[in-house]
Amino acid sequence: MPEDGFTKIYNHPEEVLSFFPESVVELPGGGYIYLSAVKDEQAETEYPSTYLVRTSASGEVEWTMNYDWLAPSARLIQRGNNIGFVAMNRQFEAHVILVDPANGNVSSQQNLEMAMTLYAYSDSRGDLVVLGYDFVSRSSWISRYNESFTLQRSTMLPVNTDLEYLIQRHLNKTGQDFHFFIGEYSNESGTGYYVNCFYNYTLRSVFLDISSLNATGDIYSFQIEEGISSLIQNSGSLFGLTSYYEGNNYLLSEAELQVTASQNIRDLPAKALYELTYKARVIANRASFGNTAYTLFSSQTNTNSLVLYQYLTEADSLVHTHYHRFDHRVTVSDVIQTDDLGIAILGEIYILGKYQRPFLVKMPPDPFLPEN
Amino acid sequence: MIFYVQPFVAARDLMKVTKLRYLLFLLGLSLSLVAQSQGTRFLDHLRIGFGAGANSADIRVLESYNIYEDLTEASYENSYSPMLQDIGNQYFAQMEWFNDYLILSLKPGTYTYRFSKINEVMFSSENVRQEVPYLLRYISIPLEARYNFDFQRFRPYAGIGITYSHLLGSHDASNQTFIRPMFSAGAVAGTYIDLRYVILDMHIGYHSGLHNITSKTNRFETGNGSTFAQDDLLLNNLQLSLSVLFSLQKQKHYSNVECFY
Repeated sequence: MPEDGFTKIYNHPEEVLSFFPESVVELPGGGYIYLSAVKDEQAETEYPSTYLVRTSASGEVEWTMNYDWLAPSARLIQRGNNIGFVAMNRQFEAHVILVDPANGNVSSQQNLEMAMTLYAYSDSRGDLVVLGYDFVSRSSWISRYNESFTLQRSTMLPVNTDLEYLIQRHLNKTGQDFHFFIGEYSNESGTGYYVNCFYNYTLRSVFLDISSLNATGDIYSFQIEEGISSLIQNSGSLFGLTSYYEGNNYLLSEAELQVTASQNIRDLPAKALYELTYKARVIANRASFGNTAYTLFSSQTNTNSLVLYQYLTEADSLVHTHYHRFDHRVTVSDVIQTDDLGIAILGEIYILGKYQRPFLVKMPPDPFLPEN
Repeated sequence: MIFYVQPFVAARDLMKVTKLRYLLFLLGLSLSLVAQSQGTRFLDHLRIGFGAGANSADIRVLESYNIYEDLTEASYENSYSPMLQDIGNQYFAQMEWFNDYLILSLKPGTYTYRFSKINEVMFSSENVRQEVPYLLRYISIPLEARYNFDFQRFRPYAGIGITYSHLLGSHDASNQTFIRPMFSAGAVAGTYIDLRYVILDMHIGYHSGLHNITSKTNRFETGNGSTFAQDDLLLNNLQLSLSVLFSLQKQKHYSNVECFY
């Protein structure tokens, strides 16, 4: 196949199923595996199950596997030759499950001894960082595990209000989709994680020390109606971020943030992105094209398009805006840079305007290169 | 689905326009050489006119690319509207050089082809049929060599032809999924009807595309109305045309009275 790009929509004939794509990884030998939460209207449990799909390098399905594990959390993790995901059993106990990418069979599983997992992140050292929510203490729960998934450190961030119902509705896909995420930063103030989670009545991006997991600073907004939808470190104390408040979405391609202070998102000047959907999900990535570093903010517009804002990281300038148009409503779920320096985008589309199904778009590197 | 890469597209188009001009130059050069070789008799063997007609696209799939993948291992196939379902049209000028048996005919003009792509999305209680219409408008330069039989007023002929076409742009996003140039070749048959002051040319022809018309790099850039991938296609077509030609030589005078012995 001479082309280095494709668009594929993955349909399942059962109308009662709704797919909620979460994460995609490119496999070392070529091809992709993506993770979806699948909700069956007729199932006894209200939480979605886990669905993995392996595709070829050109997007054709090679195998699919449905697992009884509930409410899988983004992101997929790679451990050796295995692909892993974090999900819950029917007692809501979080587990990490490793599968063989050749056939989808479960290689191993391990209890993470936490509950209500909302996000999983594999850091640059190979540690697994998991965000959960503890109904008893009404706290966000962050744990770090080593490569063999042994608990290293855990911390609780008190929410001080009961968000059990909202969390349940987020996990069973019947309520608001909160933008939980985890990333890491490193600068002169230290090394740590930023975790978008509920903390002290609001949805905040909390900076945590990488060793102690103690909160050192945060960016906050108004309760849980406003918040940060993506965050990425550019360099030092400079971060790129997107947010939503007062019904609009905003982008700060470069803002100076103090990881040791508490800041109000409204104190940061931002550019309004009126074309994005209400409380838009945004994925922030670092990508390299032609040996130049770029920051990509990927989201979706009110006119059923994927949109990628390509910023030159060093100069903080918008160099390209890429649109990828669909005929029905779409939502971006995950964006990765592929081995050929293209971009793969996992998302959700309403086929025929009715059925929620995953799609995978592979864009070649050409449109992202500086001369274009 | 649209990626905006305007500078690259502009450069590519410029190169193709240059190719078109080069082809036109070669054609003009060939005709002028023929004219020189024939001396002043050339004009006596020239006729010009115009014509129009209808056509039907006959789409052949070289390789299928479906945007849908089924998670239960079912397969989705694309199909295209059968011949004579979607009718296109052509308008052209016609220039002919002829001798007693051989005719060289040039018919530059706009040739518009219509066809529809049909694909089905399967669900357990419904199969949804999606039909997406296409309209491709080309500037074409068909060159035909015809051998004709002189039955006085009626002069039937048969011949072969080759056509260079250049796809015009449109607001339809799917237009970008096709390459601009297209070469085709085919056979024609028809008859001239000499009406003393004008000559009617009724002809039918079938042209077969000589290459894939889909742009491999823009295969997935459709999106105006439906989201799908463009297959690798051959654009064949059946044409029916009527032309009116004016001869530059003195007309033959056929008698309206027939003699019987």
